[in-house]
Amino acid sequence: MTAPVFEASCRSILPDGSMLTITATRRPRAGRADVKCSVPGGPAQAERMQQVVRLARHTEPRYDSRDQVVLSADRALDAATRDWELAAVLADRIVRGVFQAARPVLANGWSDAWHLGRIDGRALVNVPDGVLAGGPDALPHLGALTGQPDPVAATASARAWFPLHSGGDHDDLGWVEVSVRPLANALGGDDDDAISVPDLDALRQGQVRAVLAGARHFDGRGQGQWKTTVRFGETGFSGDSYGLALVMADRIARGREFMARGRVIATGTSSAWHAGKVETVDALAPKCALILREAASGDRILLPKAWEHALPQGMREALRARGASLACVERIGII
Amino acid sequence: MLGSLFRNPLRRPPRQDAFDATLLGSVAIALPAPSGITIPAPCAAVLVDRGGRSRRLASGSRIAALDGETAWCVHPGPYTCDLVPFAGAPEIGLRVSFAVDASDPRATHQRFDLFLASEAGSAVDLAGFGGLAQTALQRELAQGNLELPPCTTLEEWNTFRSGFNQLMYTRFGVTVDDCVPVDLAATHDYAALLEARLAAQAVLATVGASADPAAALTAMPAEAFVPACEDARALRRLFLELPCLMCAVRMAVLPADQGRFRQHQELLRRLDLVSLSVGTMPALELAAPGQPLAPEEQLRRARHSRRAAAALDEAWALLARMKVAGEGPLDVLFDEADRVVANLELETGARRVTQMQDEVTA
Repeated sequence: MTAPVFEASCRSILPDGSMLTITATRRPRAGRADVKCSVPGGPAQAERMQQVVRLARHTEPRYDSRDQVVLSADRALDAATRDWELAAVLADRIVRGVFQAARPVLANGWSDAWHLGRIDGRALVNVPDGVLAGGPDALPHLGALTGQPDPVAATASARAWFPLHSGGDHDDLGWVEVSVRPLANALGGDDDDAISVPDLDALRQGQVRAVLAGARHFDGRGQGQWKTTVRFGETGFSGDSYGLALVMADRIARGREFMARGRVIATGTSSAWHAGKVETVDALAPKCALILREAASGDRILLPKAWEHALPQGMREALRARGASLACVERIGII
Repeated sequence: MLGSLFRNPLRRPPRQDAFDATLLGSVAIALPAPSGITIPAPCAAVLVDRGGRSRRLASGSRIAALDGETAWCVHPGPYTCDLVPFAGAPEIGLRVSFAVDASDPRATHQRFDLFLASEAGSAVDLAGFGGLAQTALQRELAQGNLELPPCTTLEEWNTFRSGFNQLMYTRFGVTVDDCVPVDLAATHDYAALLEARLAAQAVLATVGASADPAAALTAMPAEAFVPACEDARALRRLFLELPCLMCAVRMAVLPADQGRFRQHQELLRRLDLVSLSVGTMPALELAAPGQPLAPEEQLRRARHSRRAAAALDEAWALLARMKVAGEGPLDVLFDEADRVVANLELETGARRVTQMQDEVTA
């Protein structure tokens, strides 16, 4: 598994523009409280922080009473701001290894329902790049960090990640999010109008619709049943290797696929989604290197079947050691 | 006079629903059986005394319960039920067919009998049992102890099956004969489910707007949590199951060397202390002899009992993992065991105290 962490920090932008750092440390509990918080000059805020962290822990499946987590803020917080709440929750999760962040986290968000994992909004108006922003339009709940749908919301949305390869240092994982909500009076037949892809141009919108229509045809369900919105984290890409990730996100959002504990990272395309076939894509080596770099515990990696014998040596073992799993698939669906 | 009083059906103690053997094997797995009946053909009878000790009677014999014994009539099955492995994916399920294990001559107690004694209040119906099995499965999947990822390969499926079979056997004492993925869209329509959620949210929003707290309470179905019942049920489970669990943990691991032996022994010693603590647990409603405890503290105590029972569930699941694991992952499993026992110690300790002192900066 992953190496234990004993200290982590998470930052947040305060309303006056200054940077707040919340530092979390972990030590044996020894009969003390499970969470201890300190905020300079603000016992009430410290109490709120403890409450927030404890409530957010209710959404975790695994409870460990052996550790005490100590959280401290590096500057005073006034009672009106609550945007640091998400940073406190994430610092608590990172230090216990519940959430693995690839890079330092800067997060803003508040919630009235942390026990459900929901993030209600953020006070930050202009969100700079790289800030993890909470709220219905960005990160609506804690499970969305790994792409899982919110178990209580009436809109199901799921994310899947795919490698964006541009042949340089800017290779990264991009995500695609599919949100579905039931279409009140099903019209039947033509499903296309109910799929909107606001981020892309008309041509690629057509591609996305064709992929989803094909995959849903294969499924035998979901035609004329859903109002669908597809969003991309990064729109400046070309190619169609996002197809498999899109299909997986759609299937997870519609509740028709088993789930991974972490993210689903997929690459693959198809000329026949209506038959559920997965076909190969280019750039095996750089994509595998990227996936190997980014994969975290619990992630599920799906690659085309044709890659199976050409995978870099030791990739499976390296992924397994990290707690991620890999499968080379020929078709989507159950086994 | 007295005779007529007894004959009056209204005065009779409320009997549990009459024994109906035709339900067995289809919708009911076990039914409480009155003393004196002859056990019908494929069934067996399980008799449990007040201390939780159980014995079995084969079919054809007459149930003769001793004083204080409760009898159940158990149909071995096979049964079929659908489980939803992920709460967030209701349209994909597992169709599981299982049977109640015939009594295993090697074991000193049968796991299914223990299940009857500690968890079954009266009858065990198939739907309720399926619910328990589904909860156990969902928790193992959420914790990552069993894996059922998207596009499961055959190899991963086989690993899952062996873990799942062992979980069901260790936790409930039933053997899984068959388990296949199924499409549940016909019965669990996700779109309809989401629409129902939307409607519920709309109701809540209108109630919230009217700003009447009483109306909001009636609109939200509150989870019934009666401290006395919950506490008694959880403590009974801990009291009956912990000794059996300890026994099974002792058998499950054969320590390879001195270090492992110490670790194993230490684990058993701590479990023993938890068991002792449960056996000597103070009454829920008393702070001291003759001194009642405040209701909110009783509620807190009951919550701790329930969480201890949840840790007990995890311990059974962990025992199942120990049984399927080889020598390799024992370090991980012992660390998990340490966590589970620490949780049990914490919850039972918190159940004992009369007042929780809790400081932000403790």
